[in-house]
Amino acid sequence: MNGFAKILFRTSSLLAAFVIMQRASFASVDDAQSFALQAAEPYVKQGFQVREDYWGGDLASGEKKAVRQQLFKGNEYWFWLGTEADRAKVSVHIYDSDGKLAEEPDSWEKGHFAAAHIIPKTTGSYFIIVSVEESPEERTHWALVYGFR
Amino acid sequence: MILFSKHLKLSVAAVGGLALCAHGAQAPQHININQLSMTVEDVVVPLPNEIFGALNKLGAVNWKEHVRSDKGPNFTERPRIALLLGAVIADGFIAVQAEDAPTVKDIGQRVLALAKGIGVGNSITPHAKAIIEAADKRNWENVRQELDRTQNSVQQAMNEVHDEKLSQLVSLGGWLRGTEVLTSVVKQHFSTDGAELLHQPDLLAYFQTRLKAMPEFNLPIIHQIREALGEVKPLIDVGNAHIPAESVKKVNEITTRLGTGIVTRD
Repeated sequence: MNGFAKILFRTSSLLAAFVIMQRASFASVDDAQSFALQAAEPYVKQGFQVREDYWGGDLASGEKKAVRQQLFKGNEYWFWLGTEADRAKVSVHIYDSDGKLAEEPDSWEKGHFAAAHIIPKTTGSYFIIVSVEESPEERTHWALVYGFR
Repeated sequence: MILFSKHLKLSVAAVGGLALCAHGAQAPQHININQLSMTVEDVVVPLPNEIFGALNKLGAVNWKEHVRSDKGPNFTERPRIALLLGAVIADGFIAVQAEDAPTVKDIGQRVLALAKGIGVGNSITPHAKAIIEAADKRNWENVRQELDRTQNSVQQAMNEVHDEKLSQLVSLGGWLRGTEVLTSVVKQHFSTDGAELLHQPDLLAYFQTRLKAMPEFNLPIIHQIREALGEVKPLIDVGNAHIPAESVKKVNEITTRLGTGIVTRD
């Protein structure tokens, strides 16, 4: 009975540790999303509808990720990138399907926040390139949200 | 969500000042798209109201004539419910454009019933309630936001139980209904700018790939959609050329046929 209790204790401890680790990893992506939404907040007052859906993941320093997105001529879009790693530097840029930079000059980056603005000249696919430029973390969580009006 | 609320409590001025003190972004003027192919994430499917917003800017649209509020039959096959759920959420966006409060409220109830039918009712109940309340107050912005949240919650709940394929069918149902209405509007008052909104070849390819990976959903409607997307592709994948009125008409015929198939029992 003692042996069984020990096994039960070890198994449940392992399970608990696993659950905690899982929650921690989800929490980090959620944190990154909350920072991306924080960057979006002032734009909501300007009439931008921020989508509930978002992209997220983790990247090493200097690593990039491309996100393909259908944009419609006539709409105006902002893409906001955030990470919870406050000493990281991130960037986001928008290219058209030919690889030409398509964003407006008021796009910006500031530490662990960045944003890119586009008024598409044509309807079609665009590439949103997110990058962790610098980070003290081995892998840095990121989240990208977008809004349109 | 708790964390998000906490962050929202931060000074709006501090957040608002972020853009003002930020550095201008330095980026290469040109990149090689082909080198990105291995690191490209899946597309986020646009909401119907994203397309409707662009359509509105081209001229006044009589949204009332596109409102659809029939309850339709109750299905038992989960893929059919998922497709219908996406289409009904799209109908919600159309009813918002038409500012039709009674239809929005009916749609709120319908969405809840369909979500229950697919086993994700619990995550939708607060959104359905919020849709109905916002429609009562004619707060259209809130209705739009809750419809987006509804779709997101449904899909998240499905993804959590590894029903990603059903989640993709929700997006597909919404996209088909949105495309049906888009082509119907553009067909009536043709313009090249309106037709250009159909230029969505990557999105179409995305749906085609996803449908190919669903052999287990052996239903006539799924087969019909798979074939129909093959018909639509050459009509909208025109590169830099304009999409002609004839193509808009054909896409409308195809999506209307599929839309009828989605809401009708076999």
